[in-house]
Amino acid sequence: MPGLELAPYQTPSGFTLPSIHSWSAFYTYQPNPRTLATQTQHWTQLLLTYARARRLFALSLADADLASAGKGAWAEVLHNPRLKPPSTSAHYTTLHACAVLLPASFFAPGQAGAESVILCWRTVGEWAGVLHDWALQTGQTSTILTLFEISNPPVPSELSDIPEPLLRRAVGVLQRSGKAQVIEGEGGGGVRIFA
Amino acid sequence: MHRLGGAGIGGLQRQTQASQAYKPLSSAISRSQIDGLQQQLSTFREALTRFAKEHRNDIRRDPEFRQQFQRMCAAIGVDPLAGPRKGGWWAELIGYGDWTYELAIQIVEICVNTRDMNGGLIEIGEVLRIVRRLRSLSGENDSEAVSEEDIVRSVHTLSVLGAGYQVVTVGSRKMLRSVPQELDTDQAAVLEVAQEAGGQVNEAALVLRKKWTSERARTALDNMLMRDGLCWIDDQAEEGIVYWVPSVMLWADDGGTGGF
Repeated sequence: MPGLELAPYQTPSGFTLPSIHSWSAFYTYQPNPRTLATQTQHWTQLLLTYARARRLFALSLADADLASAGKGAWAEVLHNPRLKPPSTSAHYTTLHACAVLLPASFFAPGQAGAESVILCWRTVGEWAGVLHDWALQTGQTSTILTLFEISNPPVPSELSDIPEPLLRRAVGVLQRSGKAQVIEGEGGGGVRIFA
Repeated sequence: MHRLGGAGIGGLQRQTQASQAYKPLSSAISRSQIDGLQQQLSTFREALTRFAKEHRNDIRRDPEFRQQFQRMCAAIGVDPLAGPRKGGWWAELIGYGDWTYELAIQIVEICVNTRDMNGGLIEIGEVLRIVRRLRSLSGENDSEAVSEEDIVRSVHTLSVLGAGYQVVTVGSRKMLRSVPQELDTDQAAVLEVAQEAGGQVNEAALVLRKKWTSERARTALDNMLMRDGLCWIDDQAEEGIVYWVPSVMLWADDGGTGGF
């Protein structure tokens, strides 16, 4: 089929997928290590960009399974119904390799099978900064906040829906620099942020 | 019997006198010849300088003009890219050497950046497209247009570096190889078949088109996949395992990934 050109595709929700997303080989695990590295890098970049655009914090194998049926938050990027055969979806191995190699991510602790990956499209240090700024701007310094209050604020903020493991790490960064105090208690405890 | 200058001592003296009189004359003649030549040379040089100055912009801008200019240089035995010793002065004059070297550097950058993706083989047309994008040129008619000829010539200037950059012809298209490894005939055949099918190739296609045994086809494909990194494997196609050669595929302007 000469003349076939791979082109970027804009999803109905407005996210532009790069043209490599329309290439079926992109979904197959590449046995050549150098090629695999390139492939992984492209997947990593795509996943992080998408996560950031959609404010998605985690990627799990369940997400990947859902996506292969064209469902779930990740369907647009992990599944390409425009390919033939249309059932093409991110190969488990590819996805897994990406997840493991994502330099800016970590496996969520304490979750069943540790199959979920927290995607840090902001680094933990950057999140700590966001948390500190938010506390300053909303006048909540020196008061004790629960982690739930931070991730579910009455007024939506940058920190809305932030997963607890990530938030804990961000608090840890503030604590080490003397900008926060962690109060242990029932139900996850709380944190006091200093100006 | 007539003797030169007459007989006797008087004759010999006359002969000496005559040859002494001829000497300044001959040196005067050769001096005037040299002067004439030098004058011609300087006129030629002036004319070239004037030409180069006048058409400097045309040479830099117009690929067609550049090619004609290149041909003219070849015809009169001047290499506009030669170093300072032979003719380099006028490469400097029009900035042509710098222009070509800059282009060469850009080509190297492109090759290095895309090597992981395409295994060190890239179509000249693709290089051209990336160069145009990097230079934000809109197309053929742009004032700083770059042509395929320019790419090929720039690649030739790289040959002295021994980095293995070379232009190879695969099927109907020119491709740039940026790793020192030679393409063997089987690889070239695979590339040709892939090129005709939009970048896609499999064992069956090679057996059918090239009358190869399936062992030969499998070995060639496996070498390209594992040893050279020239192709990607695809196990999701309906017809079984398919290999894709990114360097002969057509990519939209984002070059596949938005990055390059």
